[in-house]
Amino acid sequence: MRLPPATIVFALLLCPAAAAAQSDTATLNASVSGLARLSLSSGSITFADADPDAVPFVPASPAAISITAKARATEGGEVTLTVLATDDLRSGVDTIPASAISWTASGPGFVSGTLSSTAAQLVASWPGSGVYTGSQSFLFQNLWTHPTGTYTVTVVFTLSAS
Amino acid sequence: MTLTTRVLLAVVAGVLLVPAAAEAQRLTLTLNPQVITFPQADPDTDPVIMAAPVEISYRVQGNAAGSWVLTVLASGDLSSGGATIDISNVTWIATPAPPFQNGTLSRTVEQTLASGTGNVNPAKTGSLTFRLANAWTYTAGTYTQTVVFTLSTP
Repeated sequence: MRLPPATIVFALLLCPAAAAAQSDTATLNASVSGLARLSLSSGSITFADADPDAVPFVPASPAAISITAKARATEGGEVTLTVLATDDLRSGVDTIPASAISWTASGPGFVSGTLSSTAAQLVASWPGSGVYTGSQSFLFQNLWTHPTGTYTVTVVFTLSAS
Repeated sequence: MTLTTRVLLAVVAGVLLVPAAAEAQRLTLTLNPQVITFPQADPDTDPVIMAAPVEISYRVQGNAAGSWVLTVLASGDLSSGGATIDISNVTWIATPAPPFQNGTLSRTVEQTLASGTGNVNPAKTGSLTFRLANAWTYTAGTYTQTVVFTLSTP
């Protein structure tokens, strides 16, 4: 039996209410700024006196410095770690060029290099934000031509994120 | 059978075939504030960043014998240009429990925020505190995303 249209409408009106839903929205905002933190396992290293013939390159004590670099870079940016000697090695009026000190490195992104008192030298670079670790082992070039004395120099490590 | 008779039979059949008419369901849901902000923080000192609490008000009417559920779904990961932070790094703590429960945001599956049965009238409120796991690996930027809260009677 085919029902008239009026009957169908009436029956639908009597059906229980369908599942209902009500929504609201919220916006999440998060600010992540550039940030960098560097830590070294030791604040000083020492090269012991040695015979240039027997030990042409004097290893430092401690033998290696552990480096932990934490940085946040912008999208497509880079994180770099450099080192710069503030002066040549100095003992009173005697000097030894900072370039007498070199290093080997281990760890992802780390590179070997030679110290300079005029231009910051690259220690490591990484492609973006993260926590990176590695180590540097310093060597002093031991020569008969070095004047005797106790030499010191300060080196500055700079971690930057672009 | 005349047309009048057929109409009358149809009306009677319609009344017999359907349950008693239900009271119209009315659901109300409001959030305050509607902007949830995670401030900048150092991952070493603040491994978890907490946003200011959000008050959520809900009311369920015409649902005497049914259940209700309040869910939340993120429209995507937190994004800043091409950089993203997985939305699963956002969790929440909710009170009172029950009916509220703690959870983790998802962009694929609605997550239950609260549930119950019957009416909630007058309206009740809950408090949500969203938390972002902070990490050095995040790319610097200003991230945003929309989350949708839905109160429904399944």
